[in-house]
Amino acid sequence: MTHLELTNISKQFGQTTVVQDFNLDVKTGEFVSFLGPSGCGKTTTLRMIAGFEIPTTGKVLLGDADITDMSPNQRDVGMVFQAYALFPNMTVAQNIGFGMRIHKEPESAIKERVAEMLALIHLEQKGNSYPSQLSGGQQQRVALARALANRPKVLLLDEPLSALDAKIRVSLRAEIRAIQRKLGITAIYVTHDQEEALSISDRIVVMFDGKIEQVGTPFEIYNFPQTAFVASFVGTLNTTDAEVVNPAKKLIKIDGVQLETAEGLEDKKKGDKIKIAIRPERLNFASVEKKANLFDSTIENITFLGSVVRIQVKVGNNRFNMDTFNNPFLELPKIGAKEQITCSREAVLILNS
Amino acid sequence: MTASNVVKRDAPSARPAPYKFSWAWLGVMPFFLFAFMFLIYPSSTIALGSFQDSNTHGFTLQNFVHLLNNPNLVAAYWISIKISLITSLGGGIFGFLLAYAAIRGGLPPFMRSSLMTFCGVASNFAGVPLAFAFIALLSPSGVLTGWLRAMGYNPYFHGFQLYTFWGLSIVYMYFQFPLMVLVIAPAIDGLRREWLEAAENLGATSFQYWRYVAFPILLPSILGTMILLFGNSFGAFATAQALTGGQINLVTIMIGAQLRGDVLGDAGLGYAMALGMVVVMAIAITGYTVLQRQSERWLQ
Amino acid sequence: MKRGGVIWSWFWMILGILYFFLPLVATFIFSLKAKLGVLSFLSYEQLFNDNDFIRGFSYSIMWGVLTIIVGILIFFPTAYWVRMRLPQFRTAVEFVTLLPFVVPAIVFVFGLVRTFSHPPFLIVDSPALLVLAYVVLIMPYMYRSIDTGLRSIDVRTLTEAAQSLGAGWGTILFRVILPNIRVSIISGGFLGFAIVMGEYILAQYLAKPAFAPFLAYLIQQKAYEPAAATIVSIALTWACMGIIQLVGRGGGQAQIAGGH
Repeated sequence: MTHLELTNISKQFGQTTVVQDFNLDVKTGEFVSFLGPSGCGKTTTLRMIAGFEIPTTGKVLLGDADITDMSPNQRDVGMVFQAYALFPNMTVAQNIGFGMRIHKEPESAIKERVAEMLALIHLEQKGNSYPSQLSGGQQQRVALARALANRPKVLLLDEPLSALDAKIRVSLRAEIRAIQRKLGITAIYVTHDQEEALSISDRIVVMFDGKIEQVGTPFEIYNFPQTAFVASFVGTLNTTDAEVVNPAKKLIKIDGVQLETAEGLEDKKKGDKIKIAIRPERLNFASVEKKANLFDSTIENITFLGSVVRIQVKVGNNRFNMDTFNNPFLELPKIGAKEQITCSREAVLILNS
Repeated sequence: MTASNVVKRDAPSARPAPYKFSWAWLGVMPFFLFAFMFLIYPSSTIALGSFQDSNTHGFTLQNFVHLLNNPNLVAAYWISIKISLITSLGGGIFGFLLAYAAIRGGLPPFMRSSLMTFCGVASNFAGVPLAFAFIALLSPSGVLTGWLRAMGYNPYFHGFQLYTFWGLSIVYMYFQFPLMVLVIAPAIDGLRREWLEAAENLGATSFQYWRYVAFPILLPSILGTMILLFGNSFGAFATAQALTGGQINLVTIMIGAQLRGDVLGDAGLGYAMALGMVVVMAIAITGYTVLQRQSERWLQ
Repeated sequence: MKRGGVIWSWFWMILGILYFFLPLVATFIFSLKAKLGVLSFLSYEQLFNDNDFIRGFSYSIMWGVLTIIVGILIFFPTAYWVRMRLPQFRTAVEFVTLLPFVVPAIVFVFGLVRTFSHPPFLIVDSPALLVLAYVVLIMPYMYRSIDTGLRSIDVRTLTEAAQSLGAGWGTILFRVILPNIRVSIISGGFLGFAIVMGEYILAQYLAKPAFAPFLAYLIQQKAYEPAAATIVSIALTWACMGIIQLVGRGGGQAQIAGGH
């Protein structure tokens, strides 16, 4: 069931088009991330859902209601800001209860709900503290509780973890996801951190330059990127140019090396130039396991990254990164050695654009 | 050989710390010397003089008694307080509205910098030139008076007088509201946009946002600055002197008369009045500083 | 910003502009009325030919320049030293810089006259006293300006770099640090200058030639020249503020004491 529907959304500021052709259906209880670099339009789109910007074209439907032109204080959405935006003159409890107070709910109901929220974010003791007395992570949790206390239909989060340091980011994002699951609330999460998006989303909307590049589950986005941008933005990637040899037999060649692909050559002719990508972890030494594709390479560099060993190899004129799991008992080749590298057909990703 | 013996033998002798200190303190000596000679000492002679009998130079509280028993002087304090209250409230409110309009009111951005320049000029414009400008504007032969009369309305027939308390209040406002604008602008800047958006997001109307969020946050700043304005008006002299020729009964005018040698009774009375002024100003500055610190905590 | 709100903004703004400009416009018109029946710059001619004006004006400029120079010489090294070596003195120094606000000019001059009218400090008639008194008057603004400037640059690193290259204190202060806080010095300096130019009380009661006492006298004597003089003084203040805006971010420095 579609809970939140964005149809044909676009936004122009003067002559600049910041968002265009944005279409998305979000199901109830779904956790969707908008992922992309700064300036890609993800925050603007979020703000259009919240009502802080009005779309130039298109509609925003929440449930059955058309909220496109509604003022922000009439929509039933809850927003968590990057800079927490807690009211400094109010205690934590007063901040959380603010929305209910505005809606003139009875004091007893407010008290109960605030206690409930404090328990949800594990800050039961901090009800009477002021925001300035809390750490960044704690403030963000209060901001989350404040947005949720109002029982919004949709929860919007605008890069809520960007201002926090790495360790807190990781634990807090898991907490946010857990709370969202527990409450079953629909959530839209804006971030530029692809690891964050991959780890907590049901679906990811990858955006670039105001347009949607791809919508899919984290698994799909990572393993089956449809455009060069998605492939390079999400995870590390080896990209190179290739030439189609035989579309029917699914053969291409890079620098004279022939590769088999699994699919994606339907609309190509012999001689077409395409862009392909291979994930580093899909390459391996042929001596360990043999897959469909084999090519010769020279070892150029070996970097020990802890659990992963990144080996840089030269294949023809291309440099590829190859990631293997750290294995203390596996003898790694020396720099300059010639090794045979292998990868499966499915590992060769054909990119559109 | 016990442990303590070993310690005693091996511990290096401690050097006295102050060796470095006295040289560094020398660096701020000029400043403190200057401040003492040309500010603190002269001001304290006023304080001292107020406790001295002008003839015998013995310690006395009589000056203050005389001050409180002199209806003219007590009235001067009341009038000074009255004008300061009126112009700090009026100037404060008007200045705040103006500052908010320019900064957050949806006006074109150049309005803000223009306003800041105007206010820099206006708050500096006090004193003799300001008095004259208002004379040129609103005196019986003033320009605005002329225009109004041409339109059939003579303010002087309706009881308006420039060289009075209310006329002076209008003139004082000229440097009060710009001062408010300049001092409150950073506080308004500190009102984060996200607070407004968060409040809207939680369902608040503009009025509710003001009532529960913006106004409480700004209150310490507004109050503090109004207190500053109060002190500013209380200590003002040249404007009143130039406008009324010393005719209006303000504490500063009285002190000025004392300085010129006009007979007021005795010098000690003048000093007592001066000390009274300093006390009022000190309370004002302290109030302002305290409130300013409070507002900074929220508007960082 | 909602539509209704913007209308109110314009309302207050226009009110403010009116209130601000009317006296100025009136003064300017008044200044043009010297010649009967026609608008002319006669009053300005008379003003610039008035020796008393030239005298008062040039003396004020001189007081202003001297005040700023002395101010820099006293406040800049102090602010630097407090920041570099004596942070524990910061509160005491900042307290002292606030004191001029507590002592209104009329009381201040009262104290000055009383203190310096008797030996051994019989300098009440010396121009040096006026300049030093002015330095006290602008201390809150000038010191704070310099301090803000020092806060925004890395004083310690600059000093250490200069020292490692062999510079002495004079060089460090005036050829390394000072140029880097040019903006603050100019802001504080021009503000101080504007204050001194318009100052009345100290000049009057210490009986020194200056612009504002001259203007007060002029008001009693002439009808139209004072208007011209007022316009000149406004133009000068405007120029000072304009330069401050141009040079810096045009901060919130405001006039509290002095002049009025």
